[in-house]
Amino acid sequence: MATYLAKRVGQSVLTLFLTITTVFVLLRLAPGDPAAAYAGPNPTTEDLERIRAQFGLDDSILVQYGTFLKGLVTGDLGTSFSFQAPALDVVLERLPYTITLALSAILVTAVVAIPLGVWMARRADTAKEFGANLLTITGQSMPDFWSGIMLLTVFAVVLPVFPASGFTSWGGLVLPTITIAILQIALISRMVRREMTTNMAAPYLTVARSRGVAERALTWRYAMSNSAIPVLTALGTRFAAMLNGVVVVEVVFAWPGVGSLVVRALETRDYPLIQATVLVTAALTVLVQLLVDLAYPLLDPRVRLAKTSKKTAPAVAAPEGALA
Amino acid sequence: MTTTLSPEPTATGARPSAVTPADLKRAGARRRERSARVKLWVGGVCTLLVVAPVLLAGVLPLPGPDEQDLAQRRLPPFTDGHLFGTDQLGRDLLSRVLHGGQTSLMIGLLAVVVSGLIGIALGAAAGFFGGWVDAVVSRLLEAQLSLPLLLMLLLVVALFGPSIPVITGVIAIAQWPEVARLTRSLVLVERGKPYVAAATVLGLRRITVLTRHVVPNVLSQATLVVLLLLAQAVLLESALSYLGAGPERPFATWGRIISDGQDYITTSWWLVTLPGLFIVLLVVGVNLLGDGLRDRTRRPRGLLRRILSRRPQEA
Repeated sequence: MATYLAKRVGQSVLTLFLTITTVFVLLRLAPGDPAAAYAGPNPTTEDLERIRAQFGLDDSILVQYGTFLKGLVTGDLGTSFSFQAPALDVVLERLPYTITLALSAILVTAVVAIPLGVWMARRADTAKEFGANLLTITGQSMPDFWSGIMLLTVFAVVLPVFPASGFTSWGGLVLPTITIAILQIALISRMVRREMTTNMAAPYLTVARSRGVAERALTWRYAMSNSAIPVLTALGTRFAAMLNGVVVVEVVFAWPGVGSLVVRALETRDYPLIQATVLVTAALTVLVQLLVDLAYPLLDPRVRLAKTSKKTAPAVAAPEGALA
Repeated sequence: MTTTLSPEPTATGARPSAVTPADLKRAGARRRERSARVKLWVGGVCTLLVVAPVLLAGVLPLPGPDEQDLAQRRLPPFTDGHLFGTDQLGRDLLSRVLHGGQTSLMIGLLAVVVSGLIGIALGAAAGFFGGWVDAVVSRLLEAQLSLPLLLMLLLVVALFGPSIPVITGVIAIAQWPEVARLTRSLVLVERGKPYVAAATVLGLRRITVLTRHVVPNVLSQATLVVLLLLAQAVLLESALSYLGAGPERPFATWGRIISDGQDYITTSWWLVTLPGLFIVLLVVGVNLLGDGLRDRTRRPRGLLRRILSRRPQEA
């Protein structure tokens, strides 16, 4: 366990390092002058040189990289060009908004998508299921910026139920959450359906049914416990991706999160701010994935078997390959 | 289970009085087959409804997509021969959507071809050779999962400019892992089959065995994901162009048209709604086609059963 953890953390740190280095190199390779973007219209040559010197942009790339690495160790990611404040602070200030939005979206997704997927699996190949299937296909076919604008127009402009933009009250959370959840529910529920159909055709379920186990327990305790790991992985991956900034939705709803921040940082070529955003969000992503991996033993009945009753034994005994 | 059987006896002449699990399964399979057919038809029609006018955009009697007429600003749909109305500069919306669609579709198709080629090549190599090749490819796949993807894409586009090759490349990079993962797992199964051993014993080089014998056998299944990827590519392109990272030459694409119209949403609903519906129609169509094709070719008991029964596969 300890060695596993150490290995995983080591891998994560390496991934982070490679990511941030890639971003660093990309930024310096690319055409475009951040000083010009910072100076505004019609700058003089002296202005540009002064700005470059101020932000260390006139050093060679290697020197800049050295400074960057030194700062990385001490937790100093440089000063944002456009905010005139430590880049890390600017990002951390925005982070709670993105986390709030991502958490509420993933909660809604889990609460709707898992029962929906189970329902579709239990009624596989019926007309109702076909209808639900079409709905989920439509859900995953809508561009999120478009469904966001549509929701915004209907529920904030035509019928002013929710605030139109930003985070002025908790009501402002509703529309962005729904916008994100539409797509995620479609994806996750289809995935749950696939997993559950496989598990519900397994022999251990027939055995349990013949022993008189209730359908509800068959579905949730027997089949679901075997689908739990893939479902959790999918939810974790989705959540991690959302922490990277639900960029599009944040822009549509003027949500003050990391996503809209990074779009602005890119427009102004704010190198330190871009680097800080990538580092922080990538770190969070890696952390979430690590936590999901660590949760596997808690969910896998094969691990729990030794401690609790033998009731779930048939489910446990079925090797995964036999389920297909 | 509340499955009901159709009254007529099944082809094998099963007794309707004694409904065996096999009968139920057959009924389910038939339903699946039927729903796959419905999906294929509906998907085909939706896709055609979008693709045909887009391809014919140059031929159709429409005003040019960039012809401005300030006297005819923001006309609602169906006025003065503007089927979709006009935008804030008096340009014909339908014409803009169709011409922009050509770029969107081209980027989507190119991206899928590129990501398909990379994905199949790397996935097949990883699955067949194993060892360090597999290790490298698998690490790459994992690394990409933990990268902030859309952020990186935006970064690359913002830095290298929103030209069509850059955007195509960026979408292809976002999508190759999906193809690679699938191809790898298919090749892993295929590698253990007797014909591979036979080819090896006959003295063929490993690379020849892979390209001549193994890859053609997995190709039909690997290409099935392509349609689903096309749907994703179209969505991704529209998201990029909504954020201002889309191609602007020769014509603005769908995402850009929507973001342009967004400011006028309260007075001119069609500027956002109609291009959006156009995207939805196309993506739903492509998704249905992809789904239907997959359901149809999938044997009822899945991959494992097919391999166990060693049915000859179509090349």
